Amino acid sequence: MSKQKARSNVGPMRVETPADQAVLIMERELDAPRELVWSALTDPTQVAKWYGGHGFENPVCEMDVRPGGRWRHVMRTPDGQEFAMELEFLEVVPPERLVWQNVGHDAPGAVGPHNNHMTVTLEALDGGARTRWHLVTRFKSLADRQAAGAIGFAAVLEEGTEKFADVLRELAR
Amino acid sequence: MRIDPLSATLHALADPTRRALLARLALGDASVTELGAPLDMSLAAVSKHLKVLEGAGLVSRGRHMQWRPCHLEAAPLRDASEWLEQYRRFWDRSIDALADHLATIQATKKTKVKK
Repeated sequence: MSKQKARSNVGPMRVETPADQAVLIMERELDAPRELVWSALTDPTQVAKWYGGHGFENPVCEMDVRPGGRWRHVMRTPDGQEFAMELEFLEVVPPERLVWQNVGHDAPGAVGPHNNHMTVTLEALDGGARTRWHLVTRFKSLADRQAAGAIGFAAVLEEGTEKFADVLRELAR
Repeated sequence: MRIDPLSATLHALADPTRRALLARLALGDASVTELGAPLDMSLAAVSKHLKVLEGAGLVSRGRHMQWRPCHLEAAPLRDASEWLEQYRRFWDRSIDALADHLATIQATKKTKVKK
């Protein structure tokens, strides 16, 4: 096995942004059986170890994993800022499907939409040895207002933090 | 319902006329008349679109000059694209850490079985 492959035992993340929807799709292949991925996603002790990424801490992670159950979470960034989140599980189908949404809307000055709706689907690959992670985030407040419209959402996302005037010229086409 | 700034920004961008107005303002300040000239619509219609852009904080109007030039405010769109970029990076990082966590627990299991 090549060094690079050993290092990243996962494929690269694939990101999709359907042009006419306020939806972000992130897909990744994980080198672990689906049951393990499921427990890493639904066991709060394990979630606290990876949520946010390396360098992030999760001093609070309480999950009541069943439809209607709450997920209370506090995440601490590497520079010490804390973010409290309140989420709710909507669908729980072990070991293949977990759906949750934000219910806490209290973040003052938050730029992003507050009622995001997330669906993780886990698909067994290679006879069960590996797993495809498929995350769909639906930005509901955008969808309701049709604000994602044809170009807005995808174009802004694609452009990232590129020069503003270039973004506008692109938008005006 | 309170509308978050990102939704307000994207709502303002969801219309082609408004995007055209912003693109014109990216080249420099302009009056309503100047903005309306290349567009096949009444000045009243142009003003209506400008109101939406002003509401989203994407356009400001000069106070002192009589022609009240329209000025592009870049910050909201920059905030919006930064927020989305951050959101994407958040999950990218999280899944990196998740993959490493899965590798660790599988390695631990194998060691235990060998013993």
